[in-house]
Amino acid sequence: MKSQNPIAWVLLLVLPLGFAGVWRLQHGIDAQRASLSQERDDVLLRSGKLVKVMSLEYAPLLADIYWTRVVQYYGNKHVRGQANLELLWPLLDITTTLDPNLLISYRFGAMFLSQAAPAGAGRPDLAVQLIQRGIQANPDYWRLYEDLGFVYYFDLKNYQKASEAFLEGSKRPNAQLWMKIMAAKVAAEGESFETSAFLWKDIYESTPDPSVKKNALLHLQLLKVKEDCRQLDLLADEYAKRFGKRPARMSEMVQAGLLRGIPGDPLGFAYIFGEDGKAELNLDSPLLEQQLLLERFK
Amino acid sequence: MRRAGVVALNTFREAVRDRVLYNLVFFALLMMAAAIAVGQISIGIEQTVIVSLGLSAISVIGLLISVFLGVALVSKEMDKRTLYALLAKPVRRWEFLLGKFAGLVLTLAVNTAAMALGLLLVLIYVKHSLERSDAVVLVAVYFILLKLALIVALALLFSCFTTPLLAILFTVGLYIVGLYVQELRNLPVEVMSPAMAAFTKWLSYLLPNFENFNVMAMAAHGRAVPGALILQNTLYTVVYCTIVLTAAAAVFSRRNLK
Repeated sequence: MKSQNPIAWVLLLVLPLGFAGVWRLQHGIDAQRASLSQERDDVLLRSGKLVKVMSLEYAPLLADIYWTRVVQYYGNKHVRGQANLELLWPLLDITTTLDPNLLISYRFGAMFLSQAAPAGAGRPDLAVQLIQRGIQANPDYWRLYEDLGFVYYFDLKNYQKASEAFLEGSKRPNAQLWMKIMAAKVAAEGESFETSAFLWKDIYESTPDPSVKKNALLHLQLLKVKEDCRQLDLLADEYAKRFGKRPARMSEMVQAGLLRGIPGDPLGFAYIFGEDGKAELNLDSPLLEQQLLLERFK
Repeated sequence: MRRAGVVALNTFREAVRDRVLYNLVFFALLMMAAAIAVGQISIGIEQTVIVSLGLSAISVIGLLISVFLGVALVSKEMDKRTLYALLAKPVRRWEFLLGKFAGLVLTLAVNTAAMALGLLLVLIYVKHSLERSDAVVLVAVYFILLKLALIVALALLFSCFTTPLLAILFTVGLYIVGLYVQELRNLPVEVMSPAMAAFTKWLSYLLPNFENFNVMAMAAHGRAVPGALILQNTLYTVVYCTIVLTAAAAVFSRRNLK
């Protein structure tokens, strides 16, 4: 009978046991290192031009990689609720230098930069700079003018500039008709519920990204809440005129015939009157936390 | 010419036997991984990244094959001493070189075409359809093939008069320089002497301009490449390859093979 190779038996034993040991050890090392090291974000090369020169002929691919870094960086910070997004601009700068035609990086990049923390970096000035760079490289793309108007309207509250951006964009090929209407409306009225809702609705309907869609939906819901509360306060003023005191509960307005039923927010939670007598979100409504968060950073 | 064709066909067969086309498996895996992963980790660049990554992979894989195999075309035959048996037959040295060049270009063409097909399939998977503007991807692939043909010619030239290692270094060096020819042309002439300015200008036209073939960004964004540029680049490659191959034939015909 042929004798068995003893080394083969040892190997059969050593391989699973050895790798099981390595697996456990690596977990231990990972835990040790995690407790030792702090999170380190860094962009080693900050010059877009230098990165472009070094990329040989692969600048478009590198731009895609840098854009993915932007998304990952923003996403990680967003998930952790961290407001410090200081590397967002250098990463976007390199991305757009590597590929000036990567339209998505201007559009979403401006959104990440312009919105107040924690939703964004709170740097609308840099967002404007980024979009203007995008317009220079892609002058016929009307959506960039829409984004510029958006930043001026919502974040910088510069309605004249917002109107100019919408008007300029309306002259570009394939621009939608509402751009011209929006230019006139913003110039005449400044900020209004209809305009704000329209702009967020357009973002909601045109974006392919679920997280941006979710953000736009949240803004639409909060806009609706703001408008509802304004209307309810007007009705409460009417109630006060009739009965000489402000209502403490919504049911009092229903009983007075000012409301058909107790109104709810976009998530279905009934509005309440706060201690100051003003209409506000129900304490149980998930929108309340989002509203407070946005107001805190405004 | 028929004899050169026979050499070319055998060079192609040899490359296939050497499992050069195995890189296609790597390419396929890379593209499949990219198609699945990109949508998960980034926003709005699925198509762009598929095209950029696909074209970059085609370019890098092609570059590796053209440089390493291009340099080995002559040196391997000499090392194995099969060249002597071949040249003892009625095959002229220039025919041998031309056949080797054509054989490797044929290998690259088959390889590149297969990768281009893979790229288009991944694009269909991501976009669910192909549009007319996607034809620019094929133009970009064609330009990569032209670039590779030029690199093979250069590798062949260098391998005719120096060692394989130096030939690789010269070819890669000239390729990198060729990517920055435009920069050479844009040097500030005000700070240079007239003679130096004239020299750099002439040099920028003498060196192979590999940036001519770079339409990757246009392909990634579906922008059309003018027909005139396709024609000009084709002619540029034909003329430049003719110059380089003639120089290689001249060097090789004088080389002492003893």
